[in-house]
Amino acid sequence: MENNLPRRREAAGLSQSELAEAVGVTRQTINAIERERYDPSLELAFKLAAHFECHIEDIFQPEDGGSA
Amino acid sequence: MFDTVVPETDDPGRARRLYYRSVYAIVTVAIIGLLAGMATGRELIGTSIYCVGVWLGGGISFLAPKLTDVPLQDERDTDLYNRASGLTLGVLFVGGLSIIPVIYVLEAAGRIEAPPEVTGAIFLASGLFLLWGVAYGIVKRR
Repeated sequence: MENNLPRRREAAGLSQSELAEAVGVTRQTINAIERERYDPSLELAFKLAAHFECHIEDIFQPEDGGSA
Repeated sequence: MFDTVVPETDDPGRARRLYYRSVYAIVTVAIIGLLAGMATGRELIGTSIYCVGVWLGGGISFLAPKLTDVPLQDERDTDLYNRASGLTLGVLFVGGLSIIPVIYVLEAAGRIEAPPEVTGAIFLASGLFLLWGVAYGIVKRR
């Protein structure tokens, strides 16, 4: 799954640690998501979307970029 | 626990490092104690140190994440554990299915005589598979 989390996080002026603390995970997990080495659970995806006040699909997109 | 041990709770990374280092250090001391006991002929003391260390380390690793708001473990850790466990079991299943029936058949035919260590390993693997099946059934129903 592709994501634009690094861009959104940097636009918000947050470090990985700060975002991790805000959504209740470790910095390593945020780093793994940003490097697209880990796909978050639906619960965490909702938390991230709520934090950035957007929809999940605004952050995460399928690899092929198309609809499911 | 770890948010009280680490006064600055605004540094969850520090609490997480303390958590992992504590658990690894305790388990390392337990293993060294066991080996030292074996090497010096004081097996009772060595095994006692090992049991205390393993239970203490296991207890901390199990309880600490539940007793603090600091994310010592999260969903990615769980995912990594699950994937590693699945890979380990997969290797054991493939190895067991390939080897165990062959040993049974050849031993029954009198072609080979399996040493007690091999028989013990087969029983251990069989017990592990059985335990996995029971655990799978429990998890599936919950």
